[in-house]
Amino acid sequence: MAENDIALVFPAFISDYRDDPSREIPAFRAVFQVFLDKAASFIDKDLLSFDPKSNPMLHDELRNQYLTYIYGCSCARILLSSGIKPGISAGYSMGIYASLFTAGSITFETGLLFIRNAYDAIRKTLPPGQYGMGGVIGLSEKDIMEIVLKHDLNLAIVNRNSDYSFILAGNRVHVNVFLLKAIEEGALHAKSLGVTIPYHTNLLSGAAKDFSRTVFTADVRAPEIPVISVLNQDMICDADRARNEVVNNIHTTFNWLATQLQMHHAGIHTFTECGPSQALRKNSKFISGSGKFVNWDVLVKK
Amino acid sequence: MAKITEKTRNEVREIVFAFFAEECEADKSLINDNTNIIKDLDGDSLMFLELIEIFKKKYNLDIELKTIGKYAIKHPVETIGQLIEMQMLIIEHENRLLELDK
Repeated sequence: MAENDIALVFPAFISDYRDDPSREIPAFRAVFQVFLDKAASFIDKDLLSFDPKSNPMLHDELRNQYLTYIYGCSCARILLSSGIKPGISAGYSMGIYASLFTAGSITFETGLLFIRNAYDAIRKTLPPGQYGMGGVIGLSEKDIMEIVLKHDLNLAIVNRNSDYSFILAGNRVHVNVFLLKAIEEGALHAKSLGVTIPYHTNLLSGAAKDFSRTVFTADVRAPEIPVISVLNQDMICDADRARNEVVNNIHTTFNWLATQLQMHHAGIHTFTECGPSQALRKNSKFISGSGKFVNWDVLVKK
Repeated sequence: MAKITEKTRNEVREIVFAFFAEECEADKSLINDNTNIIKDLDGDSLMFLELIEIFKKKYNLDIELKTIGKYAIKHPVETIGQLIEMQMLIIEHENRLLELDK
């Protein structure tokens, strides 16, 4: 495997847990526990009650983000310690924080602070329970927009995972109507993402402005590993760009398909998902010629 | 309309069995026509989509995904055997799949 042809990619949320990685990588448990203890001490003491089997915190939007971040940081720490030198780091949606931490742009604590302050800013500006997000597989963008326009739905496509996989966000009732109509129109799969925040829509512009006060006063440095923007696929090479990416990521649509293709054009041939699920790996199969995914624990053992 | 030969049927079966064995990290010898894709193999719609793409390329099929989706509403697939039968119909009828219900 060539030097620097590996990209570390970080998911936004945990949807499920694969097998305990400690069975293959014994160091994982200790590294994860160190990060978990730090997070509990710094941001939320209830994180100490986390257990992937009995209390996975999957339905708590904020704690799910904390845990996804902790998990991602743990995987990346072990990968870097084992000598892996990634060419690019990329964060899928709110995976940006783990991506920047791994690149040395922010501290672990700053990442936690960003997660909490973004969440608080959003909660201050949007009433709870009125918004949502959904994923649809098997329809084209044109098919999706026809449904949205035909039923006058207040929704936006906020991400393209592949030519036939999209994420939408907006009014919760409209999301649910869309999902039903999408199945009627031939979608192979249409499901609510189980979040109550319409990430990546302009509904969060006010929250982003509020959040920017945290971001632009925090200690953010130039990434030591190139970080790719999922918003415009540019490389984030300095602190100001990193700050802008963190703020704009809240209320701007992103394009994972274009991001993955751009990474491949930049010489990345191997991707590894720094998280407990395999959603990014599964999705990558529909991006032709974009490289291969290898489980992070497999890379560590090589 | 493509004619389904015994060779095609065997190819499809072999591809489906090998695909799920690899994707789901399952013992191929334990997969049979009655294996439930979701309950027994932890399969999902992305796997279904990937399999469709494999067959579209292999047999140069002219079929829209949404046609398959609409057909699947009336003929839901739960087992490997049902999936193989649906793939045969897709290969045989392509975009005319929905005409089977008329």
